Amino acid sequence: MISIDHVTVRLQSRVVLDDLALSLTEHRIGVIGDNGSGKSTFAKLLNGLLLPDHGTVTVDGFDTRSDGKKVRSRVGFLFQNPDNQIVMPTVAEDLALGLKPLRLDGDVLRQRISDTLEGFSLSHLADRSAHLLSGGEKQLVALAGVMIAEPDILVCDEPTTLLDRRNAELVMKTIADLPCTVIVVTHHVEHLDSFDRVLVLDKGRISHDGAPDCAIPLYLGPLS
Amino acid sequence: MIAGLYLPGDGWIHGLSAPVKLGFMFFTGLTIVVISHVSVMVLLTISVGFIFSVVAGLGFKRLWLSTRPLLIWVLAILLAQLWLVSAEAAVLISLRLVTLVWVATLVTYTTRLSEMSDVLAAMCSVLRPLGVNPERIAFLIALTIRLIPSVFDIVRDVRDVQKARGLERAYIAMFVPALTRLLRESDALSDALTARGFERWGDKR
Repeated sequence: MISIDHVTVRLQSRVVLDDLALSLTEHRIGVIGDNGSGKSTFAKLLNGLLLPDHGTVTVDGFDTRSDGKKVRSRVGFLFQNPDNQIVMPTVAEDLALGLKPLRLDGDVLRQRISDTLEGFSLSHLADRSAHLLSGGEKQLVALAGVMIAEPDILVCDEPTTLLDRRNAELVMKTIADLPCTVIVVTHHVEHLDSFDRVLVLDKGRISHDGAPDCAIPLYLGPLS
Repeated sequence: MIAGLYLPGDGWIHGLSAPVKLGFMFFTGLTIVVISHVSVMVLLTISVGFIFSVVAGLGFKRLWLSTRPLLIWVLAILLAQLWLVSAEAAVLISLRLVTLVWVATLVTYTTRLSEMSDVLAAMCSVLRPLGVNPERIAFLIALTIRLIPSVFDIVRDVRDVQKARGLERAYIAMFVPALTRLLRESDALSDALTARGFERWGDKR
């Protein structure tokens, strides 16, 4: 469970998140909002990539401020741009990087990489240069690189923004099928129909919080 | 593209461990320096070329592609040696250069960067008592190699944008956005590494 207790984040003098207080217990949670509403800041709070100026964020009881490493071993993070996330030259090497902290033996490491590649239907790309793949393939490789470490929670920060519609759907379907808890920050509200809960951020505050069929129309309302 | 130099394959040279291949490169380098007969050097060059293109299965085209950028330098050295020393010395030193580049390219084409960095980490492990984390040193080097093409990509993108705006020779105008992008990308990379557990490397379990 992620608990956000009266969290405020300022970037220079601007208040990006303003006194947020909520618990995240659902299996599938979507976060939507306009540009500059604080969505990405909110996502980065959840695994301690960003620390609050006031308040606390805890994951399964671990404070992101004092137990950052333990939090990050539980919470995986998928970034918007896979090029920033894929570090090693080939797909298999990049997946191995995610297992470095575990210091696994060679055979166990290779088996786990092989199983993960198979699970994401990426086996045929194992030795390919990761940076020469298509956008959709890159995002799946980045996702596999996170999931190989078997996090309990996955936070995705606009994972489909740079993708065409077909690849966006493929990536979102893959994310939706994951066994862990998933929190997705996105502009593509159509991907959140099957989610358990949707948070709408507006100027750093939660303006709507509820099931997708309630929260999404309230968010889209003023435009339609 | 440097980061993409490894070429997947299932030949026996691909199957050799990175320390063996690096050892082969070191040994060949030493041998090349010791050889003083042109005929022996020619034989060694042909052997390395054969291993590169046939045994490793990389083909003659790649052998040529790895030699082509060298030709201007080889020619310059050849002419200088011909003028200053002798024809034999000119041929010997030119063949040494070509052979050494072929061996290095062979190792690079058939060895994953992660395997290279593992060897480097093992070599740096003697520094562990001094508080140095060898995995981090090795990763730093691997990451530097991997980022070279990314830096070129960013500079090329910025140059294209400036060209489109009619600022082809405005180098200062190019420098600022390129630097801004590089700093932004390095921030994003830093976040990604943190999120992927880089800070836990070397932790005692």
